[in-house]
Amino acid sequence: MKVLIVEDEKALSELISTYLSTEQYVCEIAYDFSSAMKKIAHYDYACIILDINLPGGSGLNILKELKARKKTEGVLIISARNSLDDKLMGLNSGADDYLIKPFHLPELAARVSAIIRRKSFEGNNILTFEELELDVLSKTVYVNGVMIDLTRKEYDLLLYFISNKNKVISKDAIAEHLWGDNMDIADSYDFIYTHIKNLRKKLISSGVKDYVKSIYGMGYKFSS
Amino acid sequence: MKLFTRYLRINLMVTLLIFVLASLAFYFLLWYVTIHQVDEDLKIEQREIQFYVKKFNRPPEPLNVKDQSVSFEVSAITKAYRKFSTIPSPNKSQTEEFREISFTILVNGQWLLFKVSKSMETVQNLNRSIILISLVTIITILLVSLLINRWQMRRLWKPFYGTLDNIEKFRLGEKGALHFEKSSIVEFELLNSRIDQFIREAEKEYFLLKEFTENASHELQTPLSIVRSTLDVLIQDENISESQSHSLQTAYSAIQKMSKLNQSLLLLNKIENGQFTETQIFDFKTLVEQKMADWQELWQGRNLKIHSSLHSTQINMNEQLAEILLNNLFSNAARHSAEGGSVFLKLDEQVFEISNTANNGALDPGKLFIRFSKAGQITDQHGLGLSIIKQIARVSNKIVSYHYKDDRHFFSIRF
Repeated sequence: MKVLIVEDEKALSELISTYLSTEQYVCEIAYDFSSAMKKIAHYDYACIILDINLPGGSGLNILKELKARKKTEGVLIISARNSLDDKLMGLNSGADDYLIKPFHLPELAARVSAIIRRKSFEGNNILTFEELELDVLSKTVYVNGVMIDLTRKEYDLLLYFISNKNKVISKDAIAEHLWGDNMDIADSYDFIYTHIKNLRKKLISSGVKDYVKSIYGMGYKFSS
Repeated sequence: MKLFTRYLRINLMVTLLIFVLASLAFYFLLWYVTIHQVDEDLKIEQREIQFYVKKFNRPPEPLNVKDQSVSFEVSAITKAYRKFSTIPSPNKSQTEEFREISFTILVNGQWLLFKVSKSMETVQNLNRSIILISLVTIITILLVSLLINRWQMRRLWKPFYGTLDNIEKFRLGEKGALHFEKSSIVEFELLNSRIDQFIREAEKEYFLLKEFTENASHELQTPLSIVRSTLDVLIQDENISESQSHSLQTAYSAIQKMSKLNQSLLLLNKIENGQFTETQIFDFKTLVEQKMADWQELWQGRNLKIHSSLHSTQINMNEQLAEILLNNLFSNAARHSAEGGSVFLKLDEQVFEISNTANNGALDPGKLFIRFSKAGQITDQHGLGLSIIKQIARVSNKIVSYHYKDDRHFFSIRF
C-alpha cells in the first residue's frame, strides 16, 4: 500500500517514512505544495499524511483538489497548530483524521492504519493478527471464535500494538495513546505496566501466544 | 481627602476671611462717613448760631427737641474753641448715642460755651440695616456658591470618574478598546488621550510579546516532533544495550516534559486570545463525575481515597475550558497528596471545592498562580497548571482561591 507524506520538514518526513516503511507500506514524500499536487494527479495512494503549512500553498487546497478529482484517498492532517478551528476546517474539508505535532510515530501509524482500514475494507471490520481477530466496530476480540473479555483500555492497547506490530513502542507513546494529554506521563508508567500485564494474562489464558516483549523497561514490542 | 473637599475647604476659608475683613472695613467706613455727615450738620448748626449771635448780639434760646438739643453756659475757656464728641443719650430711656459739638463764641465780651447735640438714631439705624443686608447677602452668596460648586464640581468631574471607571474595567489584552467619553475640558481630554496613548503602547508591547510566545511555541513544535520521532525510530534498533535504553528513556522524559510545557503555553495563549468564548449551560456535576471516572485509575494507583459530595449545579461556561480546569485541579490534587491520602470534592450552587491532604505544608498563596513558580518541590510539575486554572477562571468570570486548613490544600471555584 502506498502512503504519501506531504511535509516540508525533510527530517520529519524521512523519519515518518522510515517508521512506516515496512512490508505493509511504501512511502513517498512530497516536500512542497506543487510536487504534492503533481503526485496526487498521477498516482493513487492508500493514505496521505498532510501538513497544512506548506511552501507554495496550503494543505487544505490539496484536500480540495482531492475532492475535485473525486479521489478516495484517506487523509491524515498533521499540524503544529492545535486549534479547534484548524481541526474543524481540516475535517470539514474531507480529512479523515487530525494529529497535532509533536506526535509519537506509533500514534501516527495507528491513525494511518485505522484510516486505511476504514477506507479499504468497507463492510469488513475484522482485523486479524495470527490467531487474534479484532472486530473494530464492536471493539471485541476473538480467538478461534471465542470472545476474550477485555476492558476498554486493554482493547485499545491491543489494537495499538497490532497497528504497530514488530515495532518497539515507547512507554510514553503508550501512555499518551491511552490517556491523552490529561495526565503526567511519569504518573502513568505503573498503570501501563498493570494494563499490559493484565492483557497478557488474558490473552495467554485464552490460548494466545505471548506476543508482547518488554524492551529494557523502555517500551514494548508486539511481534509474532 | 477628595480634591473637591480640600478645594472647597480652602476656598471657603479664604472667602469667609475676605468677607469678614471686608464687612469690618465696610462697617468702619460707613461709621466714619455717617459721623462725618453728622459733624457737617453740627457745623452748620454752629454757623447758624454764630450768625445769630452776630446779628442779634445775644445767644439764641436753648432748644430741646427729641433728637437735637442746644444749650450754652459761661465758658471756662476764653478763646475760640471747637470740639466734637460722642456722648450717651441725655434721655436715659434711649439707647442711641448723640454726637455733640461744643464751641465758644464771644458774646458781649463774655466767652460762652455752646453745646449742640444731635441724635444718631437715624444713622445708626441705617448702619444697622446696611450691615444686616450685607451679612445676609454674604451668607446667601456663600451658601449658593457652595451649592453651585458642589453641583458643578460633580458635573465637571464626571468625565474624570468616567475615565477611572473605564480604566478599572479595562484588562490588557482583552478585546474591546478603551472608550472615553468626549469632554469639553482640555485637561480631561489631555488625560484621556495620554491614557489612551499609554495603553495603546502597552497593548502593542503586550501583543508583540504574546505573538512572540505563540510563535516560539509553534516553531518549537516541529523540532520537538523531529526529536521525538527520531527517538521513536531509534528504539527500533535491535542492538540497543540496556544502558543506552536508559539514556533514551531520559531523553523521552525530557521531550515529553518539553512538549507538555509547550502545549500548556499554547493553551494559555489561546485562552488569553479569547478562543474559548462560546459558553453553554450544563450540569457541572455530570462533568465532575465524568472526570472522576477518568482519574479514578490514577487515584487508586496512589491509594488516594476520594470523598465526594456533589449536587447538581447548572453553570454557564465553555465546556472545553471546564474540562481543562478539572483536569488541572485533579492533577494538582493528585500531585500534592501524600500516598494514601484523601481527596475531597464538594459541589453546590455557589462553589466547587477540591481539597486534599497535604504532603508538604501550606503553599505560598502569593506565588501560587504565577507562571513557573513551583509551589512544591515536585519536579514533574511544569509550573503552568495553576496559571491555567487562574486564566480559565478569569475568562469564565469565576473566582478561584486557595487556602490551607487542617493540613489540607483547598482550591475553590466560586461560580
